[in-house]
Amino acid sequence: MKRLETLKDDGGKAFVAYIMAGDGGLDKLRGQVETLQRSGVTAIEVGIPFSDPVADGPVIEEAGNRALKEGVTLDKVLLEMKSWDFEVKIPLIVMTYLNPVIRYGAERFAESCREAGVSAVIIPDLPFEHQRLVAPYLKKAEIMLVQLVTLTTTENRLHDILQEAEGFVYAVTVTGITGVRDEMTEEVKSFMKTVRAKSPVPVYAGFGISKLEHVDLLRDDVDGFVVGSAIVKAFHEGEFDGIQPLIDAVTLQHPV
Amino acid sequence: MTGVKICGLQELEHIKAVNGADAAGFVFAPSHRRISVEKAARLAAELPEGIEKIGVFVNSGLQEILEAVEKVPLTMVQLHGDEPDELIRSIPVKTIQAFSIREQQDVEKLNRSIADFVLVDAPGTRFRGGSGKTFDWSLLAEASVAPGRLIVAGGLDAGNVRSAIDALGPYMVDVSSGVETEGKKDAAKIKKFIETVKGDSMQQAEGTKEETGFFGRFGGQFVPETLMKAVKELEAAYAEAKEDPEFQKTYYDYLKEYVGREQPLTFAARLTEAWGGPKVYLKREDLNHTGAHKINNAIGQALLAIRMGKRKIVAETGAGQHGVATATICALLDLECVIFMGEEDIKRQQLNVFRMKLLGAKVESVTKGSATLKDAVNEALRYWVANVEDTHYLIGSALGPHPFPTMVRDFQSVIGRETRVQILEKEGRLPDVILACVGGGSNAIGMFHPFIADESVRLIGVEAAGEGVDTDRHAATLTKGTEGVLHGSYMKLLQDENGQVQEAHSISAGLDYPGVGPEHVHLEDIGRIQYKAVTDEEALASVISLSRLEGIIPALESAHAVAEAEKTAAGMGPEEILVICVSGRGDKDMATYADKLEGLA
Repeated sequence: MKRLETLKDDGGKAFVAYIMAGDGGLDKLRGQVETLQRSGVTAIEVGIPFSDPVADGPVIEEAGNRALKEGVTLDKVLLEMKSWDFEVKIPLIVMTYLNPVIRYGAERFAESCREAGVSAVIIPDLPFEHQRLVAPYLKKAEIMLVQLVTLTTTENRLHDILQEAEGFVYAVTVTGITGVRDEMTEEVKSFMKTVRAKSPVPVYAGFGISKLEHVDLLRDDVDGFVVGSAIVKAFHEGEFDGIQPLIDAVTLQHPV
Repeated sequence: MTGVKICGLQELEHIKAVNGADAAGFVFAPSHRRISVEKAARLAAELPEGIEKIGVFVNSGLQEILEAVEKVPLTMVQLHGDEPDELIRSIPVKTIQAFSIREQQDVEKLNRSIADFVLVDAPGTRFRGGSGKTFDWSLLAEASVAPGRLIVAGGLDAGNVRSAIDALGPYMVDVSSGVETEGKKDAAKIKKFIETVKGDSMQQAEGTKEETGFFGRFGGQFVPETLMKAVKELEAAYAEAKEDPEFQKTYYDYLKEYVGREQPLTFAARLTEAWGGPKVYLKREDLNHTGAHKINNAIGQALLAIRMGKRKIVAETGAGQHGVATATICALLDLECVIFMGEEDIKRQQLNVFRMKLLGAKVESVTKGSATLKDAVNEALRYWVANVEDTHYLIGSALGPHPFPTMVRDFQSVIGRETRVQILEKEGRLPDVILACVGGGSNAIGMFHPFIADESVRLIGVEAAGEGVDTDRHAATLTKGTEGVLHGSYMKLLQDENGQVQEAHSISAGLDYPGVGPEHVHLEDIGRIQYKAVTDEEALASVISLSRLEGIIPALESAHAVAEAEKTAAGMGPEEILVICVSGRGDKDMATYADKLEGLA
C-alpha cells in the first residue's frame, strides 16, 4: 500500500481499476489482474458480487449477477487470491457490500484479507458512523479502510471523515450510482479542489469516470481516478485494449 | 431509568439547577406557584435542550391550553381537573392526566384514562417508604396502568424517593414542595433530588446509552455516503416536526377528515362463537380510505416532505397498497410521484397498478432480481440517490435507515392508540392478546407499540410461511432468518450462508419481503413479542371464515393474522379478550381469491 500513500508526492496520477470478481467465472480473475498489472494501473479493486448492490449502476450490477450465477462468493474470491503464485506488484483492494462481510464475520474477513494479500477494503454501505463494526479488525490485520466522500457530504462530516482517512480518499463524482456518464460538471471540479485541500491522503475521483474528457477536466484537482463500469464492460466484451488509452492518459505524464 | 420532573418552577435562578432532570413543570392553574404563559416562555427558553416542558392545568378550556402549548412552547400537558376525553384528544402534544388516589374508585378512573401518562398523587400525605401507612400504594396493584405510563407525585423528597421508585418502578417521579425551602424552590435541594434518583447509574447510563436510530443492536443508517446528508436532514426534520403541535394537528386533521379515522374496534360475535374461546375484536384498518393502514404513514411522510421543501416523492410498493396510498396523497397534495414496483407484483396486482396510474403516479416496472418488493426498494433507493436534493423517499414499512423505522412506527401508532382507548371503553381493561401480520412490519409495530409497556398483553406478530417454513418458499424472516444488513438497516434477513439475500415467497405480495423492521427484531430478541408463521393455505382458509362469519373480506396479509388468531384462541378462555388488526381489505386480492378459491360456492 506504500505506493498509494506516496503517489501524492511523485507527480503521477493514479489509476485504480475496478473489476467484478468472477464475471465470466472465477478462473478469469487471475488473468484479469495480470492484464491490468501489465497495462500500468496503480491498483486494482476486486469487487465482490452482492444480491442487492444499491450503490451500483446497471453495468456492475449485471456483472455481479453473472458472477453470482457462477457461484462466486466472498470466501471463494479470497481463497483464489490467496492461492496466487505470480508476483502481484500493485496493491489489491477489496470492494464489498457490508452484508457478506457480516455473514462471513468481520474478524475472519480481516484475517482472510490479510492472508490474501489485500491492502485495503472499501465498503460503500458502511458509513463513517458505523465503521467500528469492521474497522478495529481491519486495523489489527493492518488493512486500510478507504473512506468515501461525496458531493452531498456536509462540511463537518467531510472534516471528520478526512481525519480518519487512510490509503486514499474515494471522492464520488456524482450524486448517483456507478456507471458510464457523458457529463462531468464544474461543481465536481470545485468539490475535488475542496476535498484535496483538506485531505491528508491522496484523493481519487470515482463513479462515472469513463472518458478522456473526464480525466482532462479533473486531472489537476485530484491525485488519481477510479474506473469501474468502463473496465468491467471492456472485460465482459473482450475488448480490453480499448481501455488502454484511458489508462495511459492518467498514468503517463502528458503535457497539459 | 426513572425520569425526574421538577414542578412549579417560577424563577430563572432555579432553571440551571434543573439540568439533569427530564422534565420541568409550569403551573398555570391557581396556586402559589402559578406563573404567566409569557414568564413560562422566558424560563423555557433557558432550559437545557431535550427537557420536556410541561404545563399544568386544572379545568382550563382547550383554547387556553392550546395557546400555552404554542407560546411556551409546551411539549406535554398535565391535567388535574375533570377534563373530558374529547378535550384530551384535542391536545396536540402528549398528555398527563393526574389522579388523587384515595380509594378503589379512583383507581378505576385511572384505568380508563386515555392520556399518554397518568400521574398519581397522594393527597395531603407523605410517602414514607415500604412500610408507609399514610397512603396505601398497594391500591395501585389493581391499576392496569403500565409502569411505563405511570408518574408518581405527592410528598416526595430526596429522603423517600428511592423507596417510591423501588416500590412502583414508575416512568417518572414528580417533585415540587420536596425541593423547596420556605415555599420557594431551592437549587441545592433540586440538585440533590436529581442525584438521588439518577444516582450512580448516571455515569453508567452514559456508557450504555443506546445510539440514535438503534433498537438494541438493530437498526442504524447503513446507506452509501451519497445518502447520508438526506438521511440526516430527514432525521432532524422529523425530530422537529414530531414536537411541532401544528404539524401534528395537520396530520391528525387529515387522518380524521380524509382517511376517515377513527376506525372502529368491531366486536366479532360470530367469530367469537365459532372459535369458542376469547371475545374477539377486530381493529378495522380495512375501512381506511384506499383500503389499508398504509395511508396513515403516507400522509405523515408527505406532509413532512412538503415541510422540508421537497415536492417529488419516490416510493416502492409490493402489493400496491403503499403505492396507491402514496399516489393518493400525492394527488391530494399536488406532489410528483414515482412508484417502483416489481414486474412480478405488477402482474399479480393489476388493479392497484391501474389505480396508481389513474391517480397520476408514474409506475416503474422493476425487472431485476426476483422482480418483487426487495428489488423495487433497490431501485427506489437508486432513484433517491440520484435525485436526493429535491426528492423524498416515502418508505412504506417500518424499514430502512433511521429515522424511517421510528417515523413509520410513529405514524402507524394511531392504530394501537385508538385500540387502547376503545378496548378500555368497551371492556374496562386491556386485551390479553393482540395479533397483527408482519411483512416489513408497519401495521404490527403501529398496533403493538402503545402496548409494549403493558406486560399483561401478549403480542403476536404473524409472518408468511408461504408453502411452509421448512421449504425454501416462505417469507418468515423472524422465524427462519439470520442477522444482516439490507436497505440501510441491521435486521434479520433471509439470506444464504454467503450473505446473499434470498427471494421471499408468499401468496400475499405485501408480506413478500426477505427482511423485517429492526424494532421487531429487537422486540423478538428481548422476548417481548412472539412471532409465528402462517402458510398460504391457512391464510386462504381464514379469508373464507372472516368473509362468511363477519362479512369482512380481508386482505391476504391480514388473513395471516386471522389464521394465527384462530390457533391462539383455541387455548384461551371465554373471559379473555383477543384483538386482531385487520390491516386491509381484500379488494386488491379478488383475482387471487377467484383463482385459488374457485369452486367454493
